Amino acid sequence: MTHHTNAEAISVHEEAANDRVMFGFWVYLMTDLLMFAILFAVYAVLHGNTMGGPTGRDLFNPKLALSETLILLTSSFTAGMGMIAARRGIKRQVLVWFGITFLLGLAFLGIELFEFAEFIHEGHTMTVNAFLSSFFVLVGTHGLHITSGLLWLAVTLIFVIKRGLNSHLVRKLALLSLFWHFLDIVWIFIFTVVYLGAFV
Amino acid sequence: MTKKTHSQPRSEHGATGSYVIGFVLSLIFTIIPYHLVVNKVLSGNTLLATILGIAVLQMFIQIFFFLHLGRGPKPFYNVVFFFATAGIIVLVIGASLFIMNNLHYNMAPDEVVRKQAQDEGISQVEGKTTGACQGNKDNHIVVIKGGVARPAHTQASRCDTLTFLNQDEGKREMVFGPHPNYHSYGGEEMVVLDDGRPETITLNETGGFMFHDHLYPSLSGHLTVAP
Repeated sequence: MTHHTNAEAISVHEEAANDRVMFGFWVYLMTDLLMFAILFAVYAVLHGNTMGGPTGRDLFNPKLALSETLILLTSSFTAGMGMIAARRGIKRQVLVWFGITFLLGLAFLGIELFEFAEFIHEGHTMTVNAFLSSFFVLVGTHGLHITSGLLWLAVTLIFVIKRGLNSHLVRKLALLSLFWHFLDIVWIFIFTVVYLGAFV
Repeated sequence: MTKKTHSQPRSEHGATGSYVIGFVLSLIFTIIPYHLVVNKVLSGNTLLATILGIAVLQMFIQIFFFLHLGRGPKPFYNVVFFFATAGIIVLVIGASLFIMNNLHYNMAPDEVVRKQAQDEGISQVEGKTTGACQGNKDNHIVVIKGGVARPAHTQASRCDTLTFLNQDEGKREMVFGPHPNYHSYGGEEMVVLDDGRPETITLNETGGFMFHDHLYPSLSGHLTVAP
């Protein structure tokens, strides 16, 4: 009986701590969102300033952007499923779902880097004009977020494999999936404003 | 233990369904704007407004079904903070676009770039011809005396130069086009002539033009530039 109440007290205490951490992380996400908003504003203002060079319509491949969107969306979904498994404490499912998330994130990053490499190879580097500068900064910043998310995910999964699912790691995974959903939402706007917007 | 078994399965059960619904809706709202844009179903501002609206809708779908924001009593502050941030974002993007469009409109940067390129004899900028002349041919002189421009009509070829010579007292502001709706010629907004000082421009735009003194519209002349 005493043991039971102790455990409950700890879980209540932990829940309060979790809420605080979650709120703190949420504050970080919102400030990050503000940074993206400013980059979007810069892109919206400068996207026409090509100095007579090719515009987004000439450069972008909408099929590539669509595949990136679908891949990231699916990875956001598998992260959610992984989170459910983590809350249930099923380690194997956590590894499978988050493993898929990781691979999809890697595929997304691969396509993005392929696109960047192609632009740079054709001479459309970020120093050519204001349109390309703002494009590379906006999309590149998102790509950097994805990269750091992947590193974070890889490290967390290694800990899950080595130490098993403890409450600390479940909380980490919860923050990670929050981060991942957030990046998916930012990408929806990059897809709409940058890639689809170029063909309007 | 009883608390766990009581509270957790319910939220989990809802969670799986919620992710599936969110995923399917997001797929639909990704394919629709793609279809609208690639197959040119709509166009112009209608299309832009539609795809932006769908993006905002998809954002709310993901916030609700993936982030579970606003569900349950706990994340109240998160919701408040989210909407505060959304407000700032609307302000930052809206105000930036408003200010910069205004600035853009008043500066006409294309004209400025073209003018600079022509002044420096750069014939192409990023693959587009600027109309800059690489070498000048004949020079034509228009003399302004007693409030009259002579000759009244100048026949020239492209890349010739035209010199305005002001022999009257006072400043002359020569502009192109009929008064008062003048326009720039080859990036030249206005040729300002101080007392007795000649000003020369390169004739890089072909066609028939009228020029007049902005301050005394009756002082005017014609110019024809053959290709």
